[in-house]
Amino acid sequence: MQTNEDQKVNEQNGSHQEVDDASQIKYFGGHEYDGIKELDNPLPPWLKYIFYITIILAFSYWTRLFVFHDDNIIQRREYAKEMAVANAKTDVAVKEEASRAAAAAPLTKEQILSDGKVTFDKICFVCHGKFGEGLVGPNFTDDYWIKGGRPEDLKKVITEGVLDKGMLSYKSQLNNAQIDHVIAYILSLQGTNPPNPKAPQGVKVEK
Amino acid sequence: MELQKFSYDNRMTRNFAIATIVWGVVGLLAGLLIALQIFIPAMNFGLEFTTFGRTRPVHTNAIIFAFVGNAIFTAIYYSLQRLLKTRIYSELLSKIHFWGWQSIIVAAAVTLLAGFTTGKEYAELEWPIDIAITLIWVVFGWNMFGTILQRRTSHIYVSIWFYIATWVTVAVLHIFNSLALPVSFLKSYTLYAGVQDALVQWWYGHNAVAFFLTTPFLGIMYYFVPKVSGRPVYSYKLSIVHFWSLIFLYIWAGPHHLLYSSLPDWLQALGTTFSVMLIAPSWGGMINGLLTLRGAWDKVRKEPVLKMFVVGITAYGMSTFEGPMMSFKTVNAISHFTDWTIGHVHIGALGWNGMLTFGVIYWLVPRLYNTKLYSNKLANIHFWIATLAIIFYAIPLYIGGITQALMWKQFTPDGFLMYPNFLETVAQLIPMYTIRAFGGGLYVTGFLILVFNIVKTIQAGSFVAEEEAEAPALHANSEIKTQSETWHRFLERKPIRFLILATVAILIGGIVEVIPTYLVKSNIPTISSVKPYTPLELQGRDIYVKEGCYNCHSQMVRPFRSETERYGEYSKAGESVYDHPFQFGSKRTGPDLAREGVKTGKMYKPNSWHYNHFIDPQKMNQASIMPKYPWLAKKEIDIQSTPAKIRAMITLGVPYPANYDQIAINDLKSQADSIAKDLAAAGIQTESNLEIIALIAYVQRLGVDISNKPVKK
Repeated sequence: MQTNEDQKVNEQNGSHQEVDDASQIKYFGGHEYDGIKELDNPLPPWLKYIFYITIILAFSYWTRLFVFHDDNIIQRREYAKEMAVANAKTDVAVKEEASRAAAAAPLTKEQILSDGKVTFDKICFVCHGKFGEGLVGPNFTDDYWIKGGRPEDLKKVITEGVLDKGMLSYKSQLNNAQIDHVIAYILSLQGTNPPNPKAPQGVKVEK
Repeated sequence: MELQKFSYDNRMTRNFAIATIVWGVVGLLAGLLIALQIFIPAMNFGLEFTTFGRTRPVHTNAIIFAFVGNAIFTAIYYSLQRLLKTRIYSELLSKIHFWGWQSIIVAAAVTLLAGFTTGKEYAELEWPIDIAITLIWVVFGWNMFGTILQRRTSHIYVSIWFYIATWVTVAVLHIFNSLALPVSFLKSYTLYAGVQDALVQWWYGHNAVAFFLTTPFLGIMYYFVPKVSGRPVYSYKLSIVHFWSLIFLYIWAGPHHLLYSSLPDWLQALGTTFSVMLIAPSWGGMINGLLTLRGAWDKVRKEPVLKMFVVGITAYGMSTFEGPMMSFKTVNAISHFTDWTIGHVHIGALGWNGMLTFGVIYWLVPRLYNTKLYSNKLANIHFWIATLAIIFYAIPLYIGGITQALMWKQFTPDGFLMYPNFLETVAQLIPMYTIRAFGGGLYVTGFLILVFNIVKTIQAGSFVAEEEAEAPALHANSEIKTQSETWHRFLERKPIRFLILATVAILIGGIVEVIPTYLVKSNIPTISSVKPYTPLELQGRDIYVKEGCYNCHSQMVRPFRSETERYGEYSKAGESVYDHPFQFGSKRTGPDLAREGVKTGKMYKPNSWHYNHFIDPQKMNQASIMPKYPWLAKKEIDIQSTPAKIRAMITLGVPYPANYDQIAINDLKSQADSIAKDLAAAGIQTESNLEIIALIAYVQRLGVDISNKPVKK
């Protein structure tokens, strides 16, 4: 067997040799297992330093948490902070956006509809179908409405939801402009004839 | 010195090697299948048995316990005898070990596909199989220690230190994590609940990585790298320091799987810091492996086995650096629940475990069959394919994981989520998933080349069942302490003391973390509005576990603005106190479900939505990658099991009223009827005794208890 011969050669060399030829490092005396020897190298210093540094890091982290109760690593306080910062930022942004919108030229109808479609394709289609044909939620393309077909009716449904039926409130996901635009888009679907329409629900609203 | 003649038993090494190869094919193909399913949901072929939620545990268990497990035993049965200059202790124990382990694997595959699971990752197997694993593990230990105690060498080599630590730690982890109360032959509830269960589970899960995928492979490395290269181990001192620091520190790091969860802050801090302290001990192993090859780099150029070892050890070094980085809370806030984690573990699995196993097989099988490897060239090709495969596998997942996490966290200037629809973030991943599956396919291809090469090698050789050897008897004065003997040298010739000391080292971390979490009440503040599940919800929860929903959906809203805006209030420790098992999950292939049932919340959908969605998710959402579950609307709830389940829950401390088990079925039926009635109002006619009804009841309960207006049941 090849292995046995390998071993024998190794063993014979080992019994006379105390230094590894290739590295000129001493073997550890008396260590030999199935021909495997071990060198007397010290731990690499850089590895030792990494180890010491990580231990120091650990102790400093524990000190921050257990002694100083640092807000940044106690997660419920970290969360409170994040929310406070975000709310302040949002307030400023909303005001700026409002003043900019007031100053800007009014949007064209196309712009309003295409902005509304973005919201629709992101959120509404899940329950109302890709073309507003209705799935779990009602069909938007026919003349029937459960909660009324005027823009203000739709706005109420979108902001307050119809929780019993599974329609969520979206006031924390959409801003005012987005809601108005998506309403315009939904109403623009009236009279389109998409495939697989859901049967009418609610009351017929004459135009 | 009197030379004793004896022989090494190669049979078990051979058997385990073949099992490694066979289960390797199975485990890798299961992995490839789920890699395809994740972007082609129809790849479950319409069968409940092959849905992602059931196949993924088959993949993980097959790779960890069947492929890597058998590879460990292959290498141990070979190296143990030679390092100790003795024959294996008992052929009978070897046989029981081998056949027992293979039967466990078969039982595991069958039960997991059939939906019998405890719902705890990498510990999914039900209680009879857990008991079998314990027994077979004892047989393995008995055989190993029997061999160690009849050795002809005075001291035990570093590989054997790692084998000993592996044996004892896996035993401790497996037994304590698997403690459960059986309800029936293949159904049990874990003794632990909620946060406590999560802590024990990830103490286990993390250390399964440490003591099943890492320490035995370090032992393998310490034997095979010097053996194949013919070079001495770089540093004996480093071996000692990194061995003890590794096994002591590893056991503490489990909570890094639960960062920003409802686990108490102090435990999370231990998880983070001990992970960071693990860098140097882990790298100690890498350095001792790579620097052993100093003076043999010319051989590495020619020998595919050594090339595989080099890539394997390097992958080990990379993933043991990446792991601590992911344990920083700031990094974890991005990486957790995404595909980044999947990429990370596969650097370890495909690189470290895979490459080392391939190397061992290519080196060992020709020796067992007294021949040469059929084709070195094919082995080289395998090496390159496998290396490329790892790159194609991991990089897309890193890109995808980070992309998705950033999308989850993106806000518009006016304070809304930029991507409120979860599916939008999934759509970005599809190309990445496709490339990942290609990488996985490459890896399988490489492995099939190995299979061909090994079959040819076996055909060309003749098996050497008994390998003759000789060694001097262990003489008495090796027991006498010499003056210059170091304490560790002393331990090396006292294996039982070594075992005891290793056991102490691995117990400390677990004890410090787990026991206070039970005894100190402030760790899990209770919430009075949190009530036990109704019988129907409990049945629904069992279906949720059975279908493996936790493989893709978390139930843990982290305290980030981006999560509370998307899902609702962040999860509290007191919410899951009746959850046996906890279902926090570890990956969000789909959205978090912790607040799914909160009517005033951001996630709520009506019963009819859930009904339609379970049957055909793509009907509700064309881009959805969730598989269809039509059988839920056909299979009936196992109503008769309800009283036993309620009784088990009462035994586990869930406060149902006295004798509630007797009226539980009535409550179940009336709740089911009301859901069926609600569905009927939405135009869906259905029986009320179907699994889908129970599952709807369960998801509609999620998160409800602590919301402002609890729904009256």
